[in-house]
Amino acid sequence: MRMEHWWFTAPLRLKSIFRRRRVESELDQELQFHLEHKIEEGIAEGLSPEEARYRAMRAMGGLEQRKEEIRDARHIHWLTDFVDDLRYAIRSLRRTPGLTAFVVVTIALGIGMTATPFSMLDALIFRPYPVPHPKDVVTLVSTSRDNAFDSFSYREYLDIRDHAKSYEGVIANAPLMGVGFSSEPRATPLVRGGMLVSGNYFRVLGAEPRLGRGFRADEDRAPGRDAVVVLGPDFWKNEFGSDPSVIGRTIRLNGRDFTVIGVAPATFTGMFIFSRPDLYVPLAMAPLFSTNPKKNFFLDRGDRELTVRARLKPGTTVREARNELALLARDFEREYPKFNRDRGAAVRTQFEMRTRDDDGNWKFGVIFTILALAVLLVACTNAAGLLLSRARTRTREIAVRLAIGAGRFRLIRLLLTESLVLALLGGLGGIAVGYAGITLLSRFQIPTELPVKLPFRMDTHVLLASLAFSVLSALFCGLAPALQSTRMDLVNGLKSGDGDEPGRKRLWGRNALVVAQIALSLMLLAASFLMARGFQRAIAMGTDFAKDVKDHLLMMRFDPRLVQYNEAQTQQFYKRLNERVRQEPGVRSAALTQNPPLGLDNFGAVSFVPEGFQMPRDRESFTADMDTIDEGFFETMDVPVLRGRGFRASDTADAPLVAVVNEHFSKHYWPNGDAVGKRIRLDHAAGTPVEIVGVAQTIKYRDSFDKGIDFVYMPLAQHPVARMILLVRSNGDPLQLVEPMKDVVRRLDANMPISEMRTYSDLYRYAAVDGPGVAVKLVGTLGAVGLVLAIAGLYGLVSYNVTRRTREIGIRMAIGAQPGDVLRLMMGKGLVLVGIGTVIGLTMGVALERLMNSMLFNAGGVDMLVYLVVVPAMVLVTMLAAYVPARKASRIPPTMALRYE
Amino acid sequence: MSKPADLVQGTLDLLLLKILALQPLHGWAISLRLRSLSSDVLQVSEGSLYPALHKLEQEGWIKAEWKQTENNRRAKFYSLTRLGRAELESETANWQRLSSAISHVVQLSEA
Repeated sequence: MRMEHWWFTAPLRLKSIFRRRRVESELDQELQFHLEHKIEEGIAEGLSPEEARYRAMRAMGGLEQRKEEIRDARHIHWLTDFVDDLRYAIRSLRRTPGLTAFVVVTIALGIGMTATPFSMLDALIFRPYPVPHPKDVVTLVSTSRDNAFDSFSYREYLDIRDHAKSYEGVIANAPLMGVGFSSEPRATPLVRGGMLVSGNYFRVLGAEPRLGRGFRADEDRAPGRDAVVVLGPDFWKNEFGSDPSVIGRTIRLNGRDFTVIGVAPATFTGMFIFSRPDLYVPLAMAPLFSTNPKKNFFLDRGDRELTVRARLKPGTTVREARNELALLARDFEREYPKFNRDRGAAVRTQFEMRTRDDDGNWKFGVIFTILALAVLLVACTNAAGLLLSRARTRTREIAVRLAIGAGRFRLIRLLLTESLVLALLGGLGGIAVGYAGITLLSRFQIPTELPVKLPFRMDTHVLLASLAFSVLSALFCGLAPALQSTRMDLVNGLKSGDGDEPGRKRLWGRNALVVAQIALSLMLLAASFLMARGFQRAIAMGTDFAKDVKDHLLMMRFDPRLVQYNEAQTQQFYKRLNERVRQEPGVRSAALTQNPPLGLDNFGAVSFVPEGFQMPRDRESFTADMDTIDEGFFETMDVPVLRGRGFRASDTADAPLVAVVNEHFSKHYWPNGDAVGKRIRLDHAAGTPVEIVGVAQTIKYRDSFDKGIDFVYMPLAQHPVARMILLVRSNGDPLQLVEPMKDVVRRLDANMPISEMRTYSDLYRYAAVDGPGVAVKLVGTLGAVGLVLAIAGLYGLVSYNVTRRTREIGIRMAIGAQPGDVLRLMMGKGLVLVGIGTVIGLTMGVALERLMNSMLFNAGGVDMLVYLVVVPAMVLVTMLAAYVPARKASRIPPTMALRYE
Repeated sequence: MSKPADLVQGTLDLLLLKILALQPLHGWAISLRLRSLSSDVLQVSEGSLYPALHKLEQEGWIKAEWKQTENNRRAKFYSLTRLGRAELESETANWQRLSSAISHVVQLSEA
């Protein structure tokens, strides 16, 4: 029935929209046909042609009204009206090109400023996994007291996979790692990003390779048996030129031959925000890629390296899955108290994974978006102010329309259409501004050879959001002026061309706008100042260590496992490398580290119990970040050892175990004493004792926003690691050492791959200068744009308010007021508004600062400096804006002022 | 501008549907038919005829075609659709229920 209804009516509607003229002429013909017959009938009855015609027209009862009735029956008048409104709006906007341009630019800036951070938020939080039905994919995490997002061990993964009933499939992957890749056996390996995944990885995600095949279920069973690899789509394109014959070919990974069995679909860019794996290898090949050959990945329940994800069965809720997993975790705890004491497990959605409390990126995105929305709000306030003043100058036009019978709603719609046109134009401009901003953002380079990409882009999400913002801002800018100007007293409206109704109600709107401008821009400025200062302070603290050495350090990464060295060979290689390098001319010192301060890798973690420390009852151990270094590190990196000693050659594997901790660590656990000479026990209270032999200065470790963290150094000789970075400190330009260093390595082993060869200042610039610099620039731009818009808007509003009172000024002068009195009156009013705005702005600013301090970094309390600079500036602008027109008004003779319209 | 013998709201639609159920007609013929069928008791203003026709067309109850009249002039002929026939049936039933109820009420002898 419903369908059939549309069958008949839809063509009519479409016809009346798209063939309007034809429909109209048919209507004319139809009515004409009727009239002619009626007239003929009249003539036949003996009337004169004139009389017959007159009678026919009268019988119709007003031809045009009937036509209008018939048009209404078409149910499309809302559209035709809209088109008419649109035409009218464009015409009337073209009459005031200056104002139109100003409003459009204002809104464009506002929306453009919002598009950029929104693209960040979209990429960091909202963009779904690139798989079918991404909402069903959840992440399973192990939870402990210190970490609510811990990974699982291989054994735990198998238990979950085999026992959980809530999922269609449970998959696992190890973290992205550097893999030595060569397309043929003879070539020197290059470092590429590889990932160990479970055999069902592609199947469960719904990303089965279209070229070749995915892993078979049995290919992740037997450790080390099936050397097969699936290529990532980008890697296939870049490395093999999208050659389909790559399937079946043999490539070499970490020295072992692998058969390429498939290429992941182009749509599957991986499950991470930033990195896109080049190569996927079955979990069963883990020993070949393990970072710590001593651990037994397949057996050790405590070796938690796997990210476990699962696809929910249709109809299963996250809550059900959560309950089930919690039960499983309790079983683990009962069966394996050694590994799972106090350990739970949880199911996390994509949103929860991406808004982790320990991740700063998305928080920066959120704060950035709040600031941008504030700029948009300032821009809209500006536009609203301008539209309001525009509407006032059209008082008479609107009064005429109302007088000849236009409905109030209809007029509001007309005025809103005008704002909509403005906002959409502004939105288009905003998309251009946003595009520029996003391009700038994604041009930012991260110094690594792993496949890392900044995912910020202008996509449909961002476009739609910008569009939505434009429409919202149209409503916001246009509604108040439209409501106000159509609610008028017709008699007064018709009499004066541009008259203010007496009474306070009118002024209220504009005063509120002035206050909002001041408050918002103050808040913006306070926030951007705070951020800029916070970044600077964070960077300044503790980065001194690199001040002198950063320009004299060359770094290069080695991983002798890529050329099949065993552990003894690896340590022998590093020992000889270190000796040879120091003998080169121009080399002042050299050192080995797993990850230098501010390095791109994650630091390792060590769990320990400080001897003599009263452990809280519910904890078995503490954890801290750690680095494995050799005896040359502190000297080479210029990190002062404040007390005790650094490592020595005598700290060998056979000697007593030693460690160096940082000042923060020492103060944390021995607040009244000194860490030197104390001991910590590894893992638990009865673990291996390690003596603290030195305390080093606290520096920056993970990034330049570190608030100061506990840090432990272990000597390489006692904790052998294969993947290390060599730091060479030069006397002169470190780049001059590049060739000599390559020669040294070549003489040791011509096949040894060197990766990430760059100066430390590159890394330092990225971590401590460029990265925060981009943030400071973004925030600074927002603050500056907001301030400029606010000042322009403030000036406009205040001076307009005063100009509107020219006649009042005339009256005051006529009855004896002095120019000084007038000035005082007008400027006093402005100052009151500034006062109110400042108070509100201060309150909001303090609230936002709190939020930012708690989210990002502690940059201290409220920044008085901002207010000391900005508030007087605001006062000055307001005074000036009131002064210029007030002085002008007080100068013109009262007789003229009284007549002023 | 009082309409003589005002039609009950909605009755015009019913009349039009009924007339068109007999044969397709153009507007002028419909107005003539209305006059003659109701023996001049029901006077439909010619002005309200066309809006009503267009409304019925938009509802999908009648459809329009341009055809030649017997004296070779082009006119818009309206005819009933399947939807219109169904509507006519339900409206007729309604009307009969309503009118019998009303006549029942007005024939009540005063006690």
